[in-house]
This record gives sequence, C-alpha cells and structure tokens, in this order.
Amino acid sequence: MFDFILSRYNYWIYIILMMIGLYAMIGKKNLIKKIIGMNIFQTAIILFFISTAAKRGGTLPIIEHAHGAHPIQAASYVNPLPHVLMLTAIVVMVSTLGVALAIVIAIYRRYNTLEEDEILNLKR
Amino acid sequence: MRALNLFAVIITGIILIYGTQDMPDWADPRSPASTHVSPRYIEKTLEETATPNAVTSVLADYRGYDTLGETTVIFAAGISCILILRARRQER
Amino acid sequence: MSLHSPVLAVVIPLICAFLALLFGWWRKNLCYPITLVALSSSFLASLNTLHTVITTGTIRYHLGNWNPPWGIEYVVDHLNALVLGIISCIILVVGVYSKRSVEQELPEKIVFFYTLYLLLATGLFGIVVTGDMFNLYVFLEIASLAGYALIAIGEDGAPLASFRYVIMGTIGACFYLLGVGYLYIATGSLNMADLSQMLPELYDSRVVLVAFTFFMVGLALKMALFPLHTWLPDAYTHAPSTVSALLAPTMTKVGAYVMIRIMFTVFKPDFSISLFPITSILGWLAAAAILFGSIMALAQVDLKRMLCFVVVAEIGYIGIGVGIANRTALIGAILHIVNDVFMMACLFLAVGAIVYKIGTRNIYRFRYLHRKMPLMMALFVAGGLSVVGIPPLCGFFSKWYLILGAFKADKWIFVAVILVSSLLNAILFFRVIENVYLEPPEAGRSLEEIPTDEAPLSMLLPMFVVVAGIILLGVFSGRIIDVVIQFAIPPSI
Repeated sequence: MFDFILSRYNYWIYIILMMIGLYAMIGKKNLIKKIIGMNIFQTAIILFFISTAAKRGGTLPIIEHAHGAHPIQAASYVNPLPHVLMLTAIVVMVSTLGVALAIVIAIYRRYNTLEEDEILNLKR
Repeated sequence: MRALNLFAVIITGIILIYGTQDMPDWADPRSPASTHVSPRYIEKTLEETATPNAVTSVLADYRGYDTLGETTVIFAAGISCILILRARRQER
Repeated sequence: MSLHSPVLAVVIPLICAFLALLFGWWRKNLCYPITLVALSSSFLASLNTLHTVITTGTIRYHLGNWNPPWGIEYVVDHLNALVLGIISCIILVVGVYSKRSVEQELPEKIVFFYTLYLLLATGLFGIVVTGDMFNLYVFLEIASLAGYALIAIGEDGAPLASFRYVIMGTIGACFYLLGVGYLYIATGSLNMADLSQMLPELYDSRVVLVAFTFFMVGLALKMALFPLHTWLPDAYTHAPSTVSALLAPTMTKVGAYVMIRIMFTVFKPDFSISLFPITSILGWLAAAAILFGSIMALAQVDLKRMLCFVVVAEIGYIGIGVGIANRTALIGAILHIVNDVFMMACLFLAVGAIVYKIGTRNIYRFRYLHRKMPLMMALFVAGGLSVVGIPPLCGFFSKWYLILGAFKADKWIFVAVILVSSLLNAILFFRVIENVYLEPPEAGRSLEEIPTDEAPLSMLLPMFVVVAGIILLGVFSGRIIDVVIQFAIPPSI
C-alpha cells in the first residue's frame, strides 16, 4: 500500500494542480483569473508529462564519452521523448496565452471591465 | 452554478486518479514508455544524427515536423495578436 | 507528385501564409491572389491524393524518412482522403468568395486576415492527414489559434464570444493532450497504427479507459456536441461573415472526423462499441443535440444565429450515426460529414451575401428579398431544402442511411428524432421563405418596382459551385459510397 502511494503520488499532485486550474477556468468570473487558471492547468500537464520521462538511475539524455567505444545503455539515460513533446507544448501554450491576453485587451477596451457578469450586464 | 462547476471538476479529478492505478510505477526503467520507442533515440542518436544530446536529435530530426508545427503556432499567435489589437486602435 | 501530394496539401498553404504576409506589406492587393493560388494548389494536391488512394490504396508518407513509430508519419486512407478533398474544396470556394466581404467588413486588416486564413487551412489539412497523435495536437492548436483570432475581429461582442471559445477550446485541447499522455504511459508510442496494434492487449487497463474517456470529452468540446456546444452559437454569430462561412462547415466536421478516427482506427470497433458504452452515450447525446438545436433554432430571429443552432443539430446527426455504429449508420455519418460541409457552406455564404447587400440578419426584414437578389435567394433555398432532406439534394441521402441504420439496430427513438427534426427544419426554413417570398406587396406598390440588386459575381460564383456540389453529391451519393466510403468503414463492423 505504501509503495503504491509512493510510486504514484507525483501524478496525484499534478492532477490536483490540474483540477485547481480547471476550476478557475470554468468557475471564476474574472477573465484574467480564467487565464491564470488556464496557465495552471497547462503547466500541470507539462509537469505530468515530464514526470513520465524519469527512470530510476537515469541521467540527462546527453550521451557521455561521445567518442568512446562504450555501448550506450538506454536504461542509464532518461526518456527524451516527453521532454521534446513538452518543448512543443510549452510553445503552444505560450501562444494560446498570448492570444487570450490579446482578446482580453480587446474586451477591456470595449467594456472597461474584466468581470464577466458586468460585461453581460453592459451588453444588455 | 458554483456547486455544479465544483462537481464537474471533482469528477474529472477522480477519473484521472482512477486511471493512475494501473500505471507502471514512477521512474520504473521497465515501463512501456521507457522500453518501446524511446531507446532508439538514446542508443542511435550518435550514429544516426551525430548529436550527443538526445533531446536535440528528437526535436530537430526524428520529430522535426512537430517543431515546424511549433514555429507555425508561434507565427499564428503573433499574427493573431497583431490582427486583434490593431483592429481596436483604428476604431478609436 | 502523387507520392508527395498529402504533404504538399499541408505545406503549400503554410509557405504561402508567409509569402502573403511578406508581399502583403509591399502591395496589399497581392494577398488575395496568393491565397487563391495556395488554396487551389492544395485542392489539386488533395484531389490527387484522393485519386491515388482510390486506385492504389492507403498512402503512408514518412516525414524526414524516419520510419514510424520513431518518426512522424502521414497516413491517408479512404476516410482522410475524402474529408481532405471536401474540406480543401470548401476552403478554396470560401476563399474565392471572401474578397468583397472582407473588403467591406475588415478593410484595414486584409493582409493579416489572409495570412491567418491560410494558417487555418494548414491546421485543418494537417489534422486530417496526420497519423501521429501528438502531431494532430500541434495542428489542432494551429487551426484553433487562427480560429480564435479570426472570430475575435468580428462585430461588437465578438471578443467576448471568442474568449469563451478560447477557454472551452483550450480545455478540449488539454483533455486531448492528457489522453495522449495516458496512452503514452500505457504503451510508449504516439503513432496511431502502432497504438492500434498494441492497445488490444491493454483494453482492460484503467489507464487506457481514462485516456479514451478524455479523448471523447475533449473532441466533443472541439466539435460542439451537446451539452458542450455552448461556445458555438455566440462565436459563429459574431464572427465576420467569411469566417463563419469558413469555420462552420470545416472546424466541427474535422472534430467529428478525429472522433471517428480515434474510435475506429486507434481503438478497435469492438472496444468502442462493446467494451465501453461510449456509442450508446454518444447516440443519446446526439439525439438530444438534434432536438435541442432544432428547437433553439426556431426561437431565433437572427438568421445567422439560427444557422448556428442548425450546426449544433447537424453535429448531432453525425453523432447519432457513430452512436448507432452499424455499417449503414456509419455510412450515413460519413456521408453526412461530406454533405454537411457543403450545406453549411451554402447557407453561411448566403447569409454573408445578404449582410453584404442589406446589412441586417433579422429575418423579419428580409421582405421582398427575392426581387432584390433572385439568384442568391434561390441558392439559399436550395441549401435549406437540402438540410430539410428533399430527395435529389444530398441532405436526403445521408438522413436516409441514418434512418436505415437506426431501423437495423431497432433504435426506434432515433428514427423518430431524425424524422421530427426534419419536420422542425422544414418549419425553420419555411419561416424564412415565407418572410422573403410570400409577403404581400405594400399598398400602392407593385413588386416589379423593386430594383434588382444582386450580389457581386465573386460571391455568386462560389455559391453556384456549392449548390452544384449539393446536387451532384445527392445524385452520385451511391457512387461515392461504392468507391470511397465503404472502404472507409472498418471491416469488422
């Protein structure tokens, strides 16, 4: 039981973090808070992916002794693929953040407020 | 509404945690993620791409097309920001 | 050429988006021709792809010459090739149409508009042809980002609608990414073909179950399946006319395509149908979507908003076909994806032309429009009748297969839902037709006095093409099924 918790608690922490972000995205009324929630959600996903790359006893996936004759053991380096995926995902998430902030600026210029219910009142 | 949102979020979290039960142990070198596709990236990176850094070789070579997509996303985001913000300035 | 055509269809718009920006700085008028050249070459490339797939079978294209599952692979089979061909056709047609509408609605932003238009096309084509789960996510985000921005530059209220779309769309994309992550933990692979070989051993694993659930929820958000459709009506109503005409036919249908791909290629049909009750859940949600969309559409006076709810209902038809999940119903669902692209394009293009000419979308102010724009209204009515399901037009045939499929599965309620919604659609479009055609002339004026003020040729011509497509798809629907669609359905169904 203790081993079970110890071998998964990192995933659970990231899932809790994701849910905090998700709640802010759908529950908060302030548009900036929604964007902060979006950022927390996405960052938690990045952490989640990165933690899948780990290998016990593995080191950075940069091959040492590049010119030596040692056979390279995959088990002694961590998995590079999740890192690559997350490099791409970070860029995607930053772009989404940028576009969302630009839209918020457009909303603020139009309504002079960032509270969703106030905007809906103004629209009526 | 607040209770509904909280309920949806908690359900989502429980489903995600339910899924972790059958996952291989964290940092297990025998897990599928560590044994199926990724070993080639580490073992052959010097031979096939002449790059000691496996992350670089995957990013720019094996999965270089994703990186093209990534730069396109940045391009799209930049153009989007110009499009949205410029629109409002001219209206004033 | 035929070897590289799938990747050319994606890369040409991408390069031309860059060129459109560069040349647009120098001469603004060059953007439109560059866009057309890019979209027509990618249309030709996708036709070539479709032809190659029909004659020689599935195309596998290894990007960078790395073998899958290590590298990224494009896999084009009958299903993608058909969707790619149809979508590139509609994007080209809307591109031709866009000139006058964009000049009127967004005169200052033509350069950036066409750049993003091409990037959106790149994203959609990339989603359709790819055979890699993560590559699909990247292109999904390209298409979504371009979509958010294009919606945000619409009329008053568009930024807020777009913001809600950003939030919902990001949740959808993140759920998809989480699904990819769970599958990666369980299998260690990202390639769809590789996954579909490895997954059957893991079907009772909870990781795979959760991954599948998250794919479905994320894609339901992206394709606006009831009850996750809430972002769609606002976003598509407030967007510029051209953008609605581009997004309404393509974006949601691409989401539906990805859903079919994941349910029946990545996962095997026996998992999606029997091991996991997703098809019955999907079927009931889709039936609710059809009824909800049709009834809400009845309550609208804004024509464009009414059509947005029709889109919600049309997604329901695709969902119901996938939910019944026998061979006939799946033929109906795939045929409906194809037909719906053309029908929605026709209706939204007509709305764009009406807004361009008379500046209002309130259907009670459409009086005598058939005198003013006789051709345009005739084309609009053709599209409307196709949505209702009048025989020679294509909408009838997909509904026919859906009803047949529901009969075979003994799902009588679904038959009833489809029939009732056809009736509701008939009322819907008759209400518009009544306001346009059947209003009595005002006292002392005869109808002949109203001058004809037809939409410009660059708007009429695309409409003609789309309506011709609607009729041809209807007439040749049997042949399309024989040549393409029957191979797009997994053989075990």
